[in-house]
Amino acid sequence: MPKEYSSLISELREKLDSCTSEHDLANIKSHYLGKKGVISNEFLKLRAASSEERKILGINLNTLKDEAQNLIANKMSKLSSAEDSNEKIDISLPGSNIRLGSRHPVSLTINRIINILGSYGFETVDGFEIEDEFHNFDALNIPDSHPARDMHDTFYVSDSKLLRTHTSSVQIRSMLSSSPPIRIMTPGKVYRSDSDPTHSPMFHQIEGLCIDEDINFCHLKSLLTAFISELFGRDMDIRFRPSYFPFTEPSAELDIKFNGKWLEVLGCGMVHPNVLSNVKIDYKKYSGFAFGLGIERLAMLQYGITDLRMFYENDISFLSQFEGLK
Amino acid sequence: MKISLNWLKEYLGNIKDNDELISRLTSMGLEVDSVSKQKRDTVIDIDMTPNRADCLSVMGIARDLSPIYKKKVLMPKISKLSNKTKSHVKRVNKKISTAYSILVIKDFDNSLITPKNIADRLELCGISQINFIVDVLNYVMLEIGQPMHVFDKDKLNGALDVRFARKGEKINALDGNQYTLTADIPVISDSNGAQAIAGVIGSDNSSVDTNTSSIIIESAFFNQNLIRKSAKKYRLQTESSYRFERGVDPYLNNLALGRVMHIVDQYSQVKNHMFNSIVSKPISTHLGKYIKMDISYFERILGVKLSNKFIINTLSYLGFNPIIVKNKLKVSVPSHRFDISIAEDIVEEVARVYGYNNFTEIPLPPTTLSKSKISKNNTSKYLELLSSQGYHEVITYSFLPKDSQKLFMSNTSKIEVLNPISEDKSEMRVNMINGLLKTAKYNISRQNSDIKIFEIGKTYKKHKDNSVSEENVLAGMISGVNYPLNLKQFQRKLDFYDLKGDLMSIFQNLSFNQSEKISYLSNSCQAVISQGRKPVGLCGEPSLSLYKQFGVKNKIFYFEIYIDLLKLNQKVTYEPISIYPKIYRDLTLLFDSKISSGDIIKKIQRKSFNYMINSRISDIFYNKNDFGNDKKSMTLELVFQDYSRTLQDDDVNTQISMVLDFLEKEFNAVLRK
Repeated sequence: MPKEYSSLISELREKLDSCTSEHDLANIKSHYLGKKGVISNEFLKLRAASSEERKILGINLNTLKDEAQNLIANKMSKLSSAEDSNEKIDISLPGSNIRLGSRHPVSLTINRIINILGSYGFETVDGFEIEDEFHNFDALNIPDSHPARDMHDTFYVSDSKLLRTHTSSVQIRSMLSSSPPIRIMTPGKVYRSDSDPTHSPMFHQIEGLCIDEDINFCHLKSLLTAFISELFGRDMDIRFRPSYFPFTEPSAELDIKFNGKWLEVLGCGMVHPNVLSNVKIDYKKYSGFAFGLGIERLAMLQYGITDLRMFYENDISFLSQFEGLK
Repeated sequence: MKISLNWLKEYLGNIKDNDELISRLTSMGLEVDSVSKQKRDTVIDIDMTPNRADCLSVMGIARDLSPIYKKKVLMPKISKLSNKTKSHVKRVNKKISTAYSILVIKDFDNSLITPKNIADRLELCGISQINFIVDVLNYVMLEIGQPMHVFDKDKLNGALDVRFARKGEKINALDGNQYTLTADIPVISDSNGAQAIAGVIGSDNSSVDTNTSSIIIESAFFNQNLIRKSAKKYRLQTESSYRFERGVDPYLNNLALGRVMHIVDQYSQVKNHMFNSIVSKPISTHLGKYIKMDISYFERILGVKLSNKFIINTLSYLGFNPIIVKNKLKVSVPSHRFDISIAEDIVEEVARVYGYNNFTEIPLPPTTLSKSKISKNNTSKYLELLSSQGYHEVITYSFLPKDSQKLFMSNTSKIEVLNPISEDKSEMRVNMINGLLKTAKYNISRQNSDIKIFEIGKTYKKHKDNSVSEENVLAGMISGVNYPLNLKQFQRKLDFYDLKGDLMSIFQNLSFNQSEKISYLSNSCQAVISQGRKPVGLCGEPSLSLYKQFGVKNKIFYFEIYIDLLKLNQKVTYEPISIYPKIYRDLTLLFDSKISSGDIIKKIQRKSFNYMINSRISDIFYNKNDFGNDKKSMTLELVFQDYSRTLQDDDVNTQISMVLDFLEKEFNAVLRK
């Protein structure tokens, strides 16, 4: 390589050594290799050279160009790797905060139930919490003298008005205002004068009602069996046993086996003909079933909550455990 | 109710598998609560439903199991009662009792020690021992279900009178209390006055003790409703009233006396007894009742066809008298079954024995409801959005402490619970803020001072005409800081604008208007939330007195939205997008500091300048020295775009000068240079 070329290369080396940024490097590159750069200019000499000279000059020029390109490329990779290491991040640091909130476990449980029953055609109906005796008791075949009223320790707000003891009152209103076929579910707050570690004076219930022609006990069993396994996400050990509710006949209770013990989770039965007559539905033509369950009890089973009071203390440390659940 | 397994097996005959028997009780509807071994016997605690009065005895339970084991229930051994007497009872009011018998035993020794087998069983069943004859009566009650009462004959003055109490008449009851009676309370009296509240409790004055040597045992059927009233009125639930108000077999009273006599004969030398059945024409609504039904009714309700033979056998074992003629079933209701009155009751009897778990499952047919019937107005989407914005859902009690709502409204509009469980749950909430403030306070005191919570629930109001109404309210509260301390994000205290921003992002078309009328919110920070022109909620900071009432010192911002009033249907229609560039212009102007920024933007938008697609306030700046107290500098960011071409500077400049003119005319605004 001619001397002038060697000095050109060493000049380039010096410049590269003192270069610290990609920006400067880009300038250096264009100074030597750009369209009007030093090396590009040298190539112009080829035109004036004889064919003999051109051969040697060509080889030399290409060597010069390759050398320069290599040096610049090396510097480039050094620079970029250096810049990389400056910005190497600590992956283990936490990400930016997005604070999620939560739905209350009672609402989560209600939503799950509504979604399951909704897929069987049940629609949600809301109703009054302050009710009268007709809708809460009489229409449901619970006359004043009936011992079953003792099962409901009722809060009264006036001589005739009370806090509903179950959401069955909503079913009565629905049956009075519409005609079969009926498929409804009634989630909501209910009130009973009872307070201890397993009872709260206010709690939540959801009840279901299905009235149509030719609805029978086997339909009820089928729906509830499917409902329980969908709710718990697996087949559960369940049993139906005879029970008593004034508004259903026959009446049954559904128990689930948990840790070897049977737990009562749901009451159900075929709607009592007196109830149907009370709401002006022809019980000779239509039949139906109803069922009801306490939400808190189910939520306790699902999430392993042992103290009912947790639900109403609303400690954020408790609530935030349900973050992001639907 | 506790019963002894050995005793039960005496009535059912030879049964080997105890576990099977116990599980059968539950499958028949007599739910076994617990089982425990005691004294070479097993105690079974049964959770009896209120309709099954017939199973409040060993014999009754055995009878209910008889169709399972296909064994007729054995009858207890009884002594024949003779030597009829006419004396000792003066009168029986038939409204009170329609079957009334007595057994009189003189030369009786009540100092006898109660035989061990009787004492043991009473103990197993949780009945305390009193003295020989009382223990025998309790034993027979547990065995066959008839409550009885015994008087010390020598302590009585004259013959018994079954009558209603005289108003103000007093009785010193066996529980040690004195009760003042009213004219609707049935009593058994002698010429001195009431000696028992009929079917409920006896008097101390005529009670038997170990010195008693002459007794009158009463065995009767009392009017259920009257007993229920007495028991309820004096809050006296005795073994006797518990059974009578649920229904004791009206034909049982003489059998019970025969059984008592048989046991007494076994353990003491009674020379003679006298028996008198004063009235014996029981009246009860279910007596002599027949139920007629189609056999097909079983399948209609149960979904499964049962054989006629199974139906007949089951009902016969349970004491019914079934006959089937041409697919019609006719059954008489036995005297012990107060709970049977319609065909469905008969269906349940047969279904219980068939076993609920043995019915197959038939899938519910698809719904025949029309889609339009299924409502769609669902708020749950908004609750999901709130929780994804960092809000935790809480549920607080609908009832609040007495007098805790004074700040909200006059006493006439709140609804009080007449029989509250405690003072702190005695009035229905008229507002959601109480429950949320209490929750905030609770969490702050537990070192959770960063709070974002919401609740959906009802508020309750009483109106002038005494009618009540309920309203669905979504309410929430924020307090504390935006983020926990961290490397990336700037930490600051949450403020009103955080709350407003959250609400604006979740609900559509909300507007916030300054207010001063909400008494429980701070005057300097309160707003009415509207959708269109309709007020649908409010928000702001609690008033000082509310902060004080709850002892909260941290800054809190609150909102409530009346969800019933809110229009939630959000229909999305696509709008075309312009492909031409946007032009951004910033204008900084001086405004009177009283002018609200929302007003400026609203008016600019309403004026709809050409090409202007957006306008917002990007900066607000106060400077006393430069432009005084009554002015503020605001920067407006205006965005222009056209759908058909790229806008030129001239296009925008024309609009900008129109905007400046407009702002000068409308607000006296001056462009800052």
